[in-house]
Amino acid sequence: MNSWRTLAHVNVDPLPADWREQLTTRLGQRPRRIGQWAELALYGARLCLDAAHEPVLPSGVQLRVASLSGPLQASHSIVAQARTGLPRPFTFMQSQPSQMLAALSQHLAWQGDARFTVCRDPQAVMQLAQLESGAGGLLIGWVEENSRTAWWRMVRD
Amino acid sequence: MNEVFLAGRGLASALGPDLNSALRSMGQAGATPRRWDLPGGFAWPLYTIDEHDADWTTLAQRITQRVAAESGALAAARSGPLFLASSSLDIGAREGGGDFPDYPLFAETVAGWLDWRGPVFTVSTACTSALNALLSARTLIRHGHADHALVLGMELRNRVTLGGFGGMQLLSATRARPFGKGRDGVVLGEAVAALYLSATPSRWRIAGGANVVDGQDPAGAVHSAVVAMCQQTLADSGLSPADIALVKPQAAGSPSNDAIEVRALRAVFPTLPALVSFKGAIGHTLGASGAAELGLLMACLETGTWPRTDYPHDERLNARFATSAPAHARHVLASIIGFGGGHTAVVLEDRAA
Repeated sequence: MNSWRTLAHVNVDPLPADWREQLTTRLGQRPRRIGQWAELALYGARLCLDAAHEPVLPSGVQLRVASLSGPLQASHSIVAQARTGLPRPFTFMQSQPSQMLAALSQHLAWQGDARFTVCRDPQAVMQLAQLESGAGGLLIGWVEENSRTAWWRMVRD
Repeated sequence: MNEVFLAGRGLASALGPDLNSALRSMGQAGATPRRWDLPGGFAWPLYTIDEHDADWTTLAQRITQRVAAESGALAAARSGPLFLASSSLDIGAREGGGDFPDYPLFAETVAGWLDWRGPVFTVSTACTSALNALLSARTLIRHGHADHALVLGMELRNRVTLGGFGGMQLLSATRARPFGKGRDGVVLGEAVAALYLSATPSRWRIAGGANVVDGQDPAGAVHSAVVAMCQQTLADSGLSPADIALVKPQAAGSPSNDAIEVRALRAVFPTLPALVSFKGAIGHTLGASGAAELGLLMACLETGTWPRTDYPHDERLNARFATSAPAHARHVLASIIGFGGGHTAVVLEDRAA
């Protein structure tokens, strides 16, 4: 059985009032039109990589994100918009968990295996992610909009 | 590690309520998309399942129970993992005023419809959802954490998805023409598809797979990601390009994505293997497409029934679909490219070929 070592862990809960400003400062630019949930994922992932002293997400690392509720705000907005006409394209994109993965890939300058997979049991999510990870290890986050962003950077011992 | 086999499959699609009827339909006239009206005076073609109910959830339950039973999964212990793969998830229920407060609750409700007692996962990576769910289910069986698993791809009618793709100008106003001359966009489709995985040997072995996300183009294919996806899938399968007898590409009918995909396939395969596409038959069924198209692919190879292409190919692509099932196709690569930069592929081994 492989054992795992945690290179870095961040758990931002509660969220600081200025977390979006912090993210903008860290990235050197404001993320454009990716939605609050994806921004929160990016904020946590960036903090975790910084804590692991990794300026970029190394290739070969597997990226996993879980959430009970996903992009809440965009999901509610999109249903309301579709009642009367076409959903706005950016709201539609923000309502899709996959667009958060694309945003992480883009901002972390990384190409690799990224998935949004959730189970109510966080241990089951972690176990599956670890089984799927290769030599590069794992970056895994649990992100709840308006609430928390928790991330782990892990490697096999 | 355990080998993993696709022991059963089920499908409800525009071609019919089950796989046998789908094959019959494919061998005759096939299905045609229906015009689907949206608020605001908008309308697009949609490949629909010919079943109706006033309540979205009741419709989803009925179709899901039938498709899961068709796959053979309900005759098993139902104690392995269940993966619900979808792009739209419960959005149809929410449009009708229903309320699943979180993702797991919807998946747990689906598990309850099937009296499924194993752990329940939700995978939502847009169009690649079902293939990613398949890869995760395979992982759990390979490592001995389960001896069977069920992957359910579900994509049922809702205004958000059709309107969302329409608003992004990704849809054709007429029909899907994958790799075709004059193709002008995607036509969406409904599907519920089930893949039943088992450690018990059967005809179809999952030889390998890979998932590559690249956010450079959140709505389209990326050349380097398609190449990486194919190369990693072949490596995971222990195969070389020459071993692949048939490729089922994404081939959604998008003018630019189809071209990027063909160029990338040529970079991996010096001689293109035979090609097949099902999106002209059932539409692009988004998060369910990986499971739906794999189910059709296996059924077609077993029976010799084959999808027809009744429009001219794009000569610039120089990539024609096979007109009949290739003989002795032992290794088949099937891929899906998704909204959100996802590129996912698997290789199936036909142990009877």
